[in-house]
Order: sequence, then C-alpha cells, then structure tokens
Amino acid sequence: MKTANKPAKAPAKAPKAAAKPKVAFFDFASCEGCQLQITNLGETLLDILGAIDVVEFREAISEKWDKDYDVVFIEGSIGDHHAEERLKKIRARAKVLIAYGACACTGGVNGMKNSFKLDEIREHVYGPDYKWFDSTPTKAVHQVVKVDYFINGCPVYAPEILEVVKHALRGLPYTVPDNPVCSECKLNENVCMYERGVACLGPWTKAGCNSWCVNNGNICYGCRGEVSNPSKAAQDVITKYNLKPELIKNKFDMYNKCKENDQKPGKGK
Amino acid sequence: MNQHILKKEELDAFIKKLAKRMKVVAPVAKGYDNFAFAEVTSADEIALKYVPTILPPKKYFMPVREKVLEFSADAKGFTQKPVVEYEETAIFGVHTCDLAGISCLNMVFSERPRDYNYLTRKDHLFIIGLECLSYCDEHASCALVNSHLPNGGYDLFFTDLGDKWIIHVNTQKGEDLVEGMGLPKASAADLAALEQARAAKREVFKNEIGVEAKKLPGIFAKAMKSKVWHGVGERCVSCGNCTNVCPTCYCFDMADSVGLDLRTGARTRTWDSCQFETFAKVAGNENFREERSERQRHRYFRKFSFPLDKFNRFFCTGCGRCTRTCMAKINLKETLKELAAEHN
Repeated sequence: MKTANKPAKAPAKAPKAAAKPKVAFFDFASCEGCQLQITNLGETLLDILGAIDVVEFREAISEKWDKDYDVVFIEGSIGDHHAEERLKKIRARAKVLIAYGACACTGGVNGMKNSFKLDEIREHVYGPDYKWFDSTPTKAVHQVVKVDYFINGCPVYAPEILEVVKHALRGLPYTVPDNPVCSECKLNENVCMYERGVACLGPWTKAGCNSWCVNNGNICYGCRGEVSNPSKAAQDVITKYNLKPELIKNKFDMYNKCKENDQKPGKGK
Repeated sequence: MNQHILKKEELDAFIKKLAKRMKVVAPVAKGYDNFAFAEVTSADEIALKYVPTILPPKKYFMPVREKVLEFSADAKGFTQKPVVEYEETAIFGVHTCDLAGISCLNMVFSERPRDYNYLTRKDHLFIIGLECLSYCDEHASCALVNSHLPNGGYDLFFTDLGDKWIIHVNTQKGEDLVEGMGLPKASAADLAALEQARAAKREVFKNEIGVEAKKLPGIFAKAMKSKVWHGVGERCVSCGNCTNVCPTCYCFDMADSVGLDLRTGARTRTWDSCQFETFAKVAGNENFREERSERQRHRYFRKFSFPLDKFNRFFCTGCGRCTRTCMAKINLKETLKELAAEHN
C-alpha cells in the first residue's frame, strides 16, 4: 500500500485574488456590442470572473489600472492616428492581446470606408471643415499590432469567448476554424439558403459560430472573415443559383474590405 | 417470412402507441423539398413521401457531437470516466438506401477496436424501414448499387399496398411490437400484392448510369490519375456537405475541453470531413491531400474502391444526397459516367 503512509494532501488552494490574471477591456471604432455580449454572458460571466481579475472595462466598471496587463481584450477597428498610437501603448503594456469582434479581427463594417477616397469620405462625414478631423483608412487590430488570439464575429459568439478565455488561461494557442460556415450549418440541418433562393456567404466564411445566423433564419453575412483558402471557382455556385458575382463581392465587402490591407505587397500571408 | 398488416388509417394509433414506449423520430418536412428526421408524436407530422433527409439517420447512431469522456485532475491524481449517452428510440420511415448505410456503419464500428459508444447506442435503436416504390428524384442511384430493395438491417419494414402497409418482421423486438399491438398477419392475397409491387418496382428502378456496377472496380483501378478529378476539384468549395450528408461517412475529430476551473473537462467527438483542408494536415504543415481534387478523389475511392477491398461492398448507397447538397454542382452520377467514359 503505497499511499497509506502518505500524509493526506491538503486540498488544492483556491487561487489568491492577487494570482488571478489582470484583464482589461478596451474599445476602438465599434458599436461596443461585443462588450455587451461579454456582459450578457450571464452565469458564464460569473464563472469567468472567478478566474480573472477585471481591472478596466469601460462599459461595466469605472476603475482604471496603471500597471501592466496580463490580458487585454481589444474591440473595434483602427481609424485614425490617435487610435493607432493608443493601441500600440496598450500592446506595450499587455502580455496577451485578444482581438474580439469583427471590427477588431477583420476591420468589420468600418472597412467599408476603404471603398471610398479618404478625403471624399471625410468631407461626407465631417463637412467642409473635415481637415480638422484626423482619419486614416480602416485597419484591423492585427494590421497595427501583434494579436495573440482572435474571437471573430459580429457580435462575438458566447461559447467561443469562453473557449478562447480558457485557452488564454492555459497559455495554449486557439485556432479559429478555417472551414466554411456550411460545415456547421449542415450539421444543424438547416435548409440551405441557396435552396431558398437567397445568396448566403456561408461557403466562403470561417466557421466557429455554429451557423448562428442561419439557425435563426438569416443568411451568413461573412462577419467572421473569409476562409484562408476560399474556393476559386465560386462561379459554379453563383451560376447554379442564377446570381451575379458582383452581388457576392459586394455582400462580402460589408465585413471584409480590410482584407485588402493584408494582401498589399510585403504584407501578404 | 413473418408479414403483418397495418391499415393506413391506423398509422396514427401505431405511432402514438410506439411513442408511449420510446422516443419516435421520422422524416419531417422542412420546406423547400427538404426533410429531416425529427421527433414526432403523431402520424400527421410525418412526411411519408420524402426525398432523403438532409442528414441520414446515422445521426442517431453517431451524434454530430458526442461527449465520450469526462476527466478531472486534482491533488488525488487524474481520474477519467467514459461516457455513453443513449436513448431508447424508434426511427420510423428509413429508406432502403439508408438501411444500407447503417449496415455499412455497423461493419465499420464492429471492427476492432470496437466502438462501444456506437454499438451501445445501436442496441437501443429500433429501425422501421419504408419502401420506395418510385424514385425520390433524379439524383438517386440506388439501383446501381442494389440498395433499392430491402436487404435486412431493420426491425420492421413497411411496404405500401394502397390502403394498407404490409410489414416485414425481421427481429424478435419487431415481432414483440407487432404482436403486442395486435396487428393481423398478412393474407395470401397481401403477399401476392407485395410480389406484384416488387415486380412493378423492378421495371421502374434500373441502373442509373448505364455502366454495370461490376465494372466500377476496374474503372477505379485506373482512375487514380484521371483528369476527371481536376474538374471536380476546381468546382469544390471544401464545405464538407457531401461527407456530412453521406450515410456511410463516419470520420470524426476528438477534442478535449477543460472547464474554467482548469481541473475538470470532457472529451468530445465531432463529425469531421476529408474535404476540409485541415483533415490530412500534419505537424510541420505538410498536407497529404492539399488539393481539392485529391480530396474529392479520396471521397470517391472511399465509396467505390477501398471498402470493396475491406468489406466486399460499395459504400455508396445511391441515396443521392451528395449531389443534392453540393452548391458547386458536383454530381455523383455524372462523375461516374465521366470516369467510365475515360476508360472505355
């Protein structure tokens, strides 16, 4: 009996509050809906709060923190010089950076700004005195600083938030699924949107949301970004259902215009 | 041959009685000519005439997502507990193509190492087949692979005789059920009517591709370097629809998920697809089937070549689902015809 003589081990100690990772949430150009998703986590949020120590979270608490962060969550895209500098300063103080939400991960709807000439769009938004207001082409967070974890989606999908948090706590990499949304949609036995005569971006969009929108009767808008090796012959899909290629491209640009920043020479994957 | 009779107007009572004993699932219309197996409690919910469901009944044998293990690590050490989740369920209205699919999976999961989750669940499933006397649509190729006629693999099997069904009883469980419900035995006239229905069916169901099934192994033996795969690969979206809906595809992925306490967790298996780019990718980013053409070729070989060597049967049941579900118009019948034309 090996174990009989051993003194009974004390039960594992609950981690001290001080040992919990210091976590902060920051937002840039966004609707702040992804922060809302975090606060909407309900009981899961209480579990998460048991494992982390939130030191800054504008939408939920008023405290500020002046030391380094173990983990920062960044929401929103980067659309002016000030934001770019602020993001770099946050990155310098953070051990781990998590980009969450479509704006942060792919540039999101803010990327549509890049479809226009910058000065034209500035004038349209700010009027004749637009030069007083700083503005740059929209960038996703990884196009400015190094990102350790991505939680894609508009808004972020609750089960995935939890998965990424657990991976970050364990120091393990998280891989965003790189298959089309169809791969999950089919398992949910949804009637294919194309069968209903509606163009859906599922065939080209990264899975991981459990086909959230289609489960609820909507199409996929491509908010999780394009799969890294999309089908080159989308033409077959498009012609089978009598669609125009421009329609698909325009739909895709709604969330994915900033992808072009990655494809510029020297910045490609 | 033990045959019983159920009058059509008695189906509702049959389903209701059955639903009192166990969960009953059957094809249900989802609109746009799509159907899915789902729980029913009365006959009027059931689509008796249906095009093969989006997912085949394999989802009851191997759930899309399944917890297979719970584990915890604490001061006492590491403990683990296997998990097998099942529910007594009757699957009503299974076509012969899907019965053939279940037979294929039974063989695969009975191989050593045996899959106890699958086999345990199988023991709690009661299968009621339903015969097609005409084609569901133009994508089916069940006559090619001889799965248009019942070939066992069910507890009860229903064939339409106009105002009634003749029910073939194939197992003790099936006999207990029909005897318990007091369903009358079929008369000699009923058996004659069944013979007639089958004879008529043989006139309707004919080889759908004009190439004999026995020639397929020879065609596939020469097809590894066929140009047909390039055409198929160029169209493929890699969405995995074709394998997810296939009644004989069974590949899965396993993943451990740890709770927020970072001590306890569970292992889950989820359906996987050889059409995904990640499927054959290994450490160092080497990918054994990097091209879509290679992945599609693999799928076809997994239906018409490899299982022949291993199990002496095709793993295509002719249900037509892969063709129906493909957004890029990859068509099983057309692909087979093209391959045959190339090597004739």
